[in-house]
Amino acid sequence: MSLFTVFSIAGSGMAAESERLSAVASNLANANSATSSAGQPYRAREVVFRAVPAGDGGGPSSVGMAGVEVAAVVESSESLHSVYDPSNPLAGEDGYTQMPNVNPVDEMVNMISAQQDYQANLEAFNVAKTLAVRTLQI
Amino acid sequence: MVGPVDMGLDFYRQVLNLRAYRQQILSADIANASTPGFKAVDLDFKSALAAAVAAPSGGTAPSARPLWLVDSPAHMTPASASSAPASAAAFVKYQLGSEVTLDGNSVDLNQEKVKAAENAVDYEAAATFATQTIKLLMTAVTGSQSSSSSGG
Repeated sequence: MSLFTVFSIAGSGMAAESERLSAVASNLANANSATSSAGQPYRAREVVFRAVPAGDGGGPSSVGMAGVEVAAVVESSESLHSVYDPSNPLAGEDGYTQMPNVNPVDEMVNMISAQQDYQANLEAFNVAKTLAVRTLQI
Repeated sequence: MVGPVDMGLDFYRQVLNLRAYRQQILSADIANASTPGFKAVDLDFKSALAAAVAAPSGGTAPSARPLWLVDSPAHMTPASASSAPASAAAFVKYQLGSEVTLDGNSVDLNQEKVKAAENAVDYEAAATFATQTIKLLMTAVTGSQSSSSSGG
């Protein structure tokens, strides 16, 4: 039934958006992590979304329908910030320390966008639920 | 009397099927509101319904349909449930006029939310009409309450 496909589509949307929110949280938490497990300064993570055919094995009722999934998590290619801090043990010969390329403004905008998209998916989910219940009352 | 009874409800079945299908399309748009390169689509409901009504799923006019036989395989499969959205898929079109972002996405989230809410109300309206049709048939079958109470 079409309405149940809505559940899986909206569900995939919510899952993808929460992953995006996780990436934002990770970036903000590590905005000042001058080193990481790889020994390099932390680089901002970004999730890449991809539309995927939705529903129950591509049945006729899901023709043209697309859920969403996270295709990849990529590291931002922006250059790292250099901060003059000779007292830092990670500082180079010239006294500069490489700091993460996290841009807090970008992250906040990304967070608001993820929040709105999540809410929209939740709304679509709830509407489908209301309609399904209403159908039972015919 | 199978013909007229079936006809009245058949129309609402088509409407509810197509409304549910459109709801699905709109939620797919909402889910992909941030997917690079995704283009928003919508169902041309008017044309889809006109086509669905013009060509009944069974292939025969409702009045010409024989009484239901449960041993016939054609009646065991819910024909309309699967075939209606398949033919309606031909009426799914790209939305024009919405702004395309730098990553090639053309979903306008607010517009989609409004459309989904609108579609939900239309779905409920069709469901209400279907309920009323059934009530009407029940009245015809059972007779009015006052006469049945006085008779019994």
